[in-house]
Order: sequence, then C-alpha cells, then structure tokens
Amino acid sequence: MKLPFPVPRIWYKKGDRYGGYLVISRKSVEQLRAAIFIGNLEAKSEREAILKMLGALQGHPQVKDLSELSAATFDRQQSDPPLFPGGIAFPHARTNSVSSLVMVVATCPKAIRFSDMLVRLIFLIGVPKNAGADYLEMISFLARHMREDQVIDRLVKAEDLPSFLTAFADGP
Amino acid sequence: MDKTGENKEKRTLSPLLRRLLRLKVWVVEHLRLSERQVTLIWAALIGVLGALASESFRKTSDFLHYLATGSESGIITSFVKLPWWQRLAVPTAGGLLAGLTLWLGNRLFASVRQKTTTDYMEAIVVGSGIISVRASLVKSLSALFSISTGTSIGREGPLVQLSSLAASLVGRLRRFPIPQRRHLVACGAAAGIASAYNAPIAASFFVAEIILGTVVVESLGPLILASVVAAFVSQVLHGGEPLYKSPGFNLHTRWEMIPLSCVGVVLGFVAPAYLRFLRTAERLFSKVEIPIPLKLAVGGAFVGALAILNPDVCGNGQGLLRSLFHQNWFWDEILAILLLKLVATAAAFGSGVVGGVFTPTLFIGAAIGMLYGQTVLYVAPDLRSDPAMYGIVGMGSFIAATTGAPLMAILMGFELTLDYAIAPFLMVNCVVAYYCSGIFERRFMYGESLERKGAAFFNQQLAEVSIRDLVRLDPITLPKNATFAQIAETFVQHRFQHIYIVDKEKRLLGAVSLHDVKTFLDRPELESVVIAADIMNEDFPCVSPRQGMSEALHKFSEANSERLPVVDDLNSQRLIGSISKTDIILHLAGEKSGSGTSRQFGKV
Repeated sequence: MKLPFPVPRIWYKKGDRYGGYLVISRKSVEQLRAAIFIGNLEAKSEREAILKMLGALQGHPQVKDLSELSAATFDRQQSDPPLFPGGIAFPHARTNSVSSLVMVVATCPKAIRFSDMLVRLIFLIGVPKNAGADYLEMISFLARHMREDQVIDRLVKAEDLPSFLTAFADGP
Repeated sequence: MDKTGENKEKRTLSPLLRRLLRLKVWVVEHLRLSERQVTLIWAALIGVLGALASESFRKTSDFLHYLATGSESGIITSFVKLPWWQRLAVPTAGGLLAGLTLWLGNRLFASVRQKTTTDYMEAIVVGSGIISVRASLVKSLSALFSISTGTSIGREGPLVQLSSLAASLVGRLRRFPIPQRRHLVACGAAAGIASAYNAPIAASFFVAEIILGTVVVESLGPLILASVVAAFVSQVLHGGEPLYKSPGFNLHTRWEMIPLSCVGVVLGFVAPAYLRFLRTAERLFSKVEIPIPLKLAVGGAFVGALAILNPDVCGNGQGLLRSLFHQNWFWDEILAILLLKLVATAAAFGSGVVGGVFTPTLFIGAAIGMLYGQTVLYVAPDLRSDPAMYGIVGMGSFIAATTGAPLMAILMGFELTLDYAIAPFLMVNCVVAYYCSGIFERRFMYGESLERKGAAFFNQQLAEVSIRDLVRLDPITLPKNATFAQIAETFVQHRFQHIYIVDKEKRLLGAVSLHDVKTFLDRPELESVVIAADIMNEDFPCVSPRQGMSEALHKFSEANSERLPVVDDLNSQRLIGSISKTDIILHLAGEKSGSGTSRQFGKV
C-alpha cells in the first residue's frame, strides 16, 4: 500500500518495509557515509583488488592492526566468499584488529573475477568480533538495496562517495 | 437367553443403579482429594504425633531430673535444695553423659549421618525431608541428659527435633515426593514449637518466617493446622494456660507511651552484641581440643559453678521468666541474674550442648526490658511505670532482633502472655528492634545456622555430582561454513538458544546464539552471504568432564546460557555433548532429570 503523502526514500529507523519505501537502520547509513570510496578500481585478480582496498585503510583511526585485518579477510575468502547476484562482493573479516565497523567501497566498471563471478562492486568490511549484529545489519541493508541491476549500474557509475550515496538513496 | 439377549440386558441399567452410578461419579468428581487437601490431613496427624513426642520428652526429662536431684520440683527449686558440691556435680555429670552419648552416637552412626541429616531446618530447606532416626534419637538422648541436669539451654530444640522426626517418618512411610516431605517436616517443626510454648500461631509463623522464608497461604495452611492440633493436644495433657500469663497492665499516663515505645531501640542495639557474644563463646570452645564428653562436661561445670552462686541460672529460664513478671525484683538482682544467665547460656551453647537458645533469649530480653523499665521508673517516678510491662515488650523485641522474624516475635509475645493491652506496644517495638538490629547485624540467630547448613549441603551436593553424569551426548552442531539459511532452519526446528559450530574433527569452534541472529532470521538476502563463521562467538565457554560442578556453574554465569558445550579436553576441544542448568538443578533437588547419559538428542 502506497502512503498518500511523499515520504523520504530512506527512513532513519530500524524496521521493515512500509508502503513500498525502505525503512532502514540509521547506524548503517552512518557507517556507509563514513566509508572510504575507491572509484574505478582496476585489478587483475580478486587478491589484488582486496589488497588495494585494504591499502586504503592504512592509517585509518579505527584500524589497530592492518596486517591482522588483511590476514583475517583473506582467511575468510577461503571459505565461501560472500558474493551477491549482480556482481557484488563482500570480502570481510571479523577481527579485533578494528575497534568499530570500517568499510571500503570500490566500483569496478571493468569487472574483476571473484571465484566464478564477475564483480563490479566491492564492499570490504572489517568488523570487531563483538559487533556481529552490525555486520549482519550492514550486509542486509546493502543487499536489500542492490537487488535490481539498474541500481547496481547506477552505483558502478558513481565517481565519488556523495554521488554513490545519492545513487544509493535513489533506490530501485 | 441367547447372546444377543444378554447384551441387551447388560446395556439397560435399572433406574436405581443409574442413580447410584451418577452419585458415584459426582462423589468422585467433587470429593476427590487433591494433594493440598491430603497434606492438610497429614498435617493434622503430625500435629498429634508432634505433641505426643514432645510430651514423651518432657516426661522422660522430668524422670531423669528426679533421678539426678531426688526432687520432683522444677529445676530451680531442686537446685536451691542441693548442697554446693551437688550443684556443681549434677550439671557436670549431665554434660559428661550428654557428651558420651554424642561421642558414641558419632562412632556408631557416622555412616548414617553422612547420608541423611539430623537437623530439621536442613531437612526442610535444603535436604530431602528425611531426618536420620538413629542420629536424632542420639541427639535427643544427649539433650535429655543436659536439660534434666540443669544446663542453661532450651528444651524447645529437642522437642522440635522429635516432632520433625515423627513428620519425616510419616513422609518416608507414605513415600511422598521430596517437596511434600519437606513440607511435612516443616509441619512437624511447627507442631513441636506449638506444644513447647502453647503458641500455635507463633509456631506456624516461626517456621514460615524463619525456616521457609515465606508467609504464603499454600505453605502456611498446613503449618497452622499442625500447630493448632499440637497445641490442643498439649492443652489436653497439661492445661491451656499461657506460658507467661500477663499480670495485667494499664498505662497510668499517656506520657508513658514515649519510654515504652523506645524499648525496641534499646533491645535492637543490644541484640547484635548478644549474638556476637554467643558466637565468641562457640569459637572459644571450638579452639579447645578435648574430646566431646569433656567439652560438654566443662560447659556443665560452668553452669554448676554459677549455680553455686545463684541456682536461678539453671534450666532454660522458663521458671525465672514467670518469677520476673509476677514478683518484685530489684534492679541489682535483675542485673546479677542477667549477667549470670548470659554466661551460663553462652557456656552451654558454646560447648556444643544439644538444645535451643530460644527460651534463654526470651529471658535475657525480658531482663533487659525490666532493667530499662526500672530506669524509667527511677528517672520519671511520676509515670508510675510497671517494669514487668517493659519486660514483656523487651522479651518480644529481643526475639525479633535476634531471630530477624518480627512477625513471629509479635505473635509469640502476644500468645505467651495473652495480654491484648500490650499488643500494640509489642508490635511497634518488635518492628523497631528488628530494624535497629539490622543496622549492625545481618546474620540472625537461625539464619546463620541455615546459611551455614545450606552452603555446606550445596557444596557437598556440588562436590558429589560430576559433569560426566549429567552430560547429554550428541548436541546440535553445524559446520563453520553452514549458511545463514541452515542456521535459521536449525533454530526453527529446535528449541535451543545456541548452536555449536564444529570443524571436521568435531572440535568446538564457537557457538551461534539465537539472541544475536533472531532479528535477521526473516531476511532472505542474508541466506547465501552469511555463514556460521561470520556470526559465531568464538569465546563461548565450555567445560570438560574433569572439571568440577562449581566451575561449570561459574561458566554458566559467564555465558548467560541454559546449556554449555562439554569437550573431552580443554586443549583438544573435541565436542562430546552438552550440560544444562535444568539438569543440574534437578540433580541437586534429588530428582532424576531423565537425561543423564540418555542421549536424547538427535544429531543435526
């Protein structure tokens, strides 16, 4: 049921879908806003792509030990790398080498092969061990927003974080 | 008649038979006794048995007293007639005999005492409602020797013990379940107190407030019935007069209400010192490493030596209380007997004599109350105060302050004197004394003992139970790469709060908590992206069968979980099963959990 008045696309409230509009977590939005953005990431392999993204976290105030985060991320990639239909990868690590959730977003107009999928969007996430719920919330939030190919196309075309966020907020 | 005809005849019942059948159905439906009603009937019977047990103890005690002193009078009167050396010898010999009885009993029935308790409080609160017969009889015999030879100790202890024993026997013979057995023993205790003090209401509240720690109708009903029946039987056997009948009081002036309302404050501040004095005496005697018979003989000798000075110290103080309320005592006489009685009671209690301190405590409270009354009379003679009135209020207040049971103390004070005029003052002062005492003392007279027994019993039970005995094999597990869909499905299929994550060698890697994922269970987008390794708690506590149960309980408090994984070894971490809080509680309660190594769980 559509609501009879205009409603912002993103509601800063935890919950579900109302009237065709998405109601999402304020925390996830804030975390996405704080993400590091890499446009037009070029890499020959999954490993190279992830290393480049990890490199962007060098000196990040929330990252206590980058090498540990790197090792945990590659370790997780060994078993069932998290991939989402449409060419989205979520390399991530649950490790105490980060003090809170950190994220690097990369667009890859030239798709990179991750296992058996050509990936155009990569969300690298590092999350402390005691913040599993944050990770689930973030993955759920991202996955729900990127179910449509046209959204992914728009996001891949973004050149910086503000344009990425605008494309994200426009929704399907 | 052919077969068909027979059937027809069976089907049609005569109107009379039908009515009888209806009546039977009605009777079965309406008059079927529930467990609570059955408990009430048994409570009444226990009341009778308790009173008879108490009466038997009294008679035997009187007979032994006659043998020891050659007098049929009360204890104090008998001791007054004795020469000085006999005043010393009788309690000493009584202590020696009492100690020998305990020593022999300990040697003969040590194995029995390890399996069952001899203490009625322990049987009610933490035990299985079973009191050892032989060990109880040994204790009662020992108490008989001490009490009949004039030791300054109350006989309410053994009276309650015997009455509780009778109740425990009923519970065992009828094979009642543990909670009902415990309740019946509580009824026995109430019956014992009611027959000792002719105070049925206070007796039921004594057990409810001090031992059970709850005053709810469910448990109080049978206690009241048992107490009333016991008191009634005791009244039939030796009269229904209140124990310390009040001489009748009147306030000469309304101003007297002010000092009368302060009795509770005085007694409330003295009570903690009294409790510490008793504990110190107990500690001092425990440091003396001599055999039990000699220790009790020393306790008796203390009382005997004091009896040479003043025979009033002998006995539990019941006769002394009557005299205090009905005769004129000077303040220095009261002070002297108060100090002597304090030392005599502490010596008897500290040496380990079997008996109670309730009646001596009543006396000490009354004596302090009377001293306070004498002071009021001296300072403000115009008030024309009657010190005995302060004595009665002091008696109740002191009991409230030492036992931590003001409700019982109010009722006890009222029932012992049957003076309604004094009831409002008793009520106020008992409550005030309880609160004042609570400022300095948190461990009350019976609470400390219960706490000690409860902790000892609990520790013993914990030490006896092994994790190996309670482990349930084959818990629900998933591999670390199980998808979120598999995790959600497993939580839907089973009612557990945690799923254990294991590797190929069944080593425990962690646990996924339902609490952590419940918000996300209806999110299909997570099903293929998230795996168990992403959300499991790697630091989830586990136990091994070699660990003690107390360590398991400690880990339960860390995990905030109903169930803990059990691994064969804390280093190898190979998961062999799980252990649940419920199984431990059922085991401690003496119930079979239906689990043990029953291997109820199917492997997922």
